[in-house]
Amino acid sequence: MSGRTSPGGAWSEGRVGAPPGSSGNRKRGSGPPPPPAPSAEPAIRTEGLSKRYGRRPIVRDLTFEVRPGEVYALVGPNGAGKTTVIRLVSGLAFPSEGTVRMLGRDPQQHPEVRRRLGAVVEAPAAFYPYLTGRANLRLHARLAGGVPPGRIDELLELMELGHAADRKVGVYSLGMRQRLGVAGALLTDPDVLILDEPASGMDPLSLHLVHRVLRDAASRGSAVLLSTHHLDEVATYGTRVGIMEEGELIDEVDLDRRRDRYRVRADDPQAARQALAAQPWVQDAFLRAGQVIVQLAEPDALGRVAPVLVEQGLVVHELTADTFDLRAYYRERVAAERLRRTASGTTGTPPAVPPIGRDGSGPA
Amino acid sequence: MSALLRMEASKLLRLSSVRAAAVLLIVFPILWAYAPGIFEVYGFFLVSGFQVPALSLLSSMEFLMPLLVAIIAAELVGVEAMHGTLPTVLLRPVTRSAWLLAKLLILTVMPFLVMLYFLLTSLAAGLPYGFGSFVGGTGLGEGGLVGQGLTTAATAWGELGGAYLLAAVSLVPIALLAVLATVVTMNAASGALATLSVLIVMQLLVVFPALEPFLLTRHLSSYADPVAGLGWVVTLIALYSAAFAAIAVVLFERKDF
Repeated sequence: MSGRTSPGGAWSEGRVGAPPGSSGNRKRGSGPPPPPAPSAEPAIRTEGLSKRYGRRPIVRDLTFEVRPGEVYALVGPNGAGKTTVIRLVSGLAFPSEGTVRMLGRDPQQHPEVRRRLGAVVEAPAAFYPYLTGRANLRLHARLAGGVPPGRIDELLELMELGHAADRKVGVYSLGMRQRLGVAGALLTDPDVLILDEPASGMDPLSLHLVHRVLRDAASRGSAVLLSTHHLDEVATYGTRVGIMEEGELIDEVDLDRRRDRYRVRADDPQAARQALAAQPWVQDAFLRAGQVIVQLAEPDALGRVAPVLVEQGLVVHELTADTFDLRAYYRERVAAERLRRTASGTTGTPPAVPPIGRDGSGPA
Repeated sequence: MSALLRMEASKLLRLSSVRAAAVLLIVFPILWAYAPGIFEVYGFFLVSGFQVPALSLLSSMEFLMPLLVAIIAAELVGVEAMHGTLPTVLLRPVTRSAWLLAKLLILTVMPFLVMLYFLLTSLAAGLPYGFGSFVGGTGLGEGGLVGQGLTTAATAWGELGGAYLLAAVSLVPIALLAVLATVVTMNAASGALATLSVLIVMQLLVVFPALEPFLLTRHLSSYADPVAGLGWVVTLIALYSAAFAAIAVVLFERKDF
């Protein structure tokens, strides 16, 4: 995220001590995410993106970016504008205002950039029903300029469609079409993956499969942008979550930073906070409900937390992961935004939004 | 482009409207060839197999063939919206104009294929009457079906071939108009309906004699009753076709999906 605040919105999540949009830049084949640091050029970048149909605004002043290796999830209620954003970013729709850059280029002006794009923008994914799954993928491979031999079979197996590869897509179930859609998106091993609700209507096993495939794609260096309602799944592997409401990005949650966050219960919380904040491997340390929340800059620094406190003569009663409940956070954030909008009415400048605390506990 | 053209040609053959038209264009000439009341209604007997294709053409160019061509063209574009496959294809490194041009090219050829098929089915229906020289006319040359004495087989073949070819040419802008209408509506039924509406309005405009040479619908019967010289007809049809295709491409380039 660029750090730009949408009108009336407040992005308080993860704004302490790190350049916006700099986290979670995993490289191909890497394990845990490295500490936040400025990284490669964004694979996707929008700036002030807006879309109106007639006089009705659908997307308003959206600025965000997704870097290689990141998974950026757009979440929000139905009608929040997620699908429109997906279509604007993928070049299917034209912005009313603002810009979209994919791998540094405008996808409308440079359609060749789509050679490096894999996308599913329909739910369920749309294919020619009179062709088999394999024939549909072959057709897409031709349109994409060709794929290596065996790639189609490999993807059909990966998406557990090998048994149905030679059946017409017209008889596929919803979940099978969705999985075929993901297979189609992965055909060219793209640098950018854009998916609109790729796992909607899926059974739990297929859902897990699709999210695993997306996570793996990101770990190989693809930038993944998806819209989803599966908050629990995306919370386990996403890099950042953008929460949309009525066409605006009202908040952005840095999930990578959340994953390296721990809760310390010590006999003197204030002293414990100060001791931890002084450590170079601690990115942030703050108090919440009498406990110290420590954000590690290095994922493997957890073993150093207790010794540092003991050295200072403090007693550590508990050291545990500070689990982030994305679903609860989302619910509270959307509810707060709706309250704000109701209070401000439909016209005029809305009042300032009570900031979400960095503990994710919602507006005060 | 060749991949797109192959893809579109393959889609064309799978369209339900093409399959329906294939059946209809078999049945239609058979109705003429074996109609028991043809003398009572029209006052003539069929005496040659050449007259069946001629009658088929004369009776279908007013409404049936424009309707079929419009529906097929509208379906080839609209089916993508119906199946939701259009965005999927446009997400590949294919320009919008290339995608639509492939469809336009296929649909420019389509009326010729339809008319060739219609000629063949009509000739097949006329087989029992034979294809030798005969006394009378094909209905497409001087003297109509009564003719001006003996019509040789060569003359009849020439008249039939020329008429079917010109009829096919005159159907091309209708196919492209249907593409334009479907690009606007992104719905096959609406596109076909809009096309027919435009054609009906054009037919009504004959009440303005000055407009007549410029009306597309007036040239649908040019194969038998030319309102102007062949050069004018072909030029006008080419201009209409180019205009419809160009507008369709421009609109499609700026369309949101």
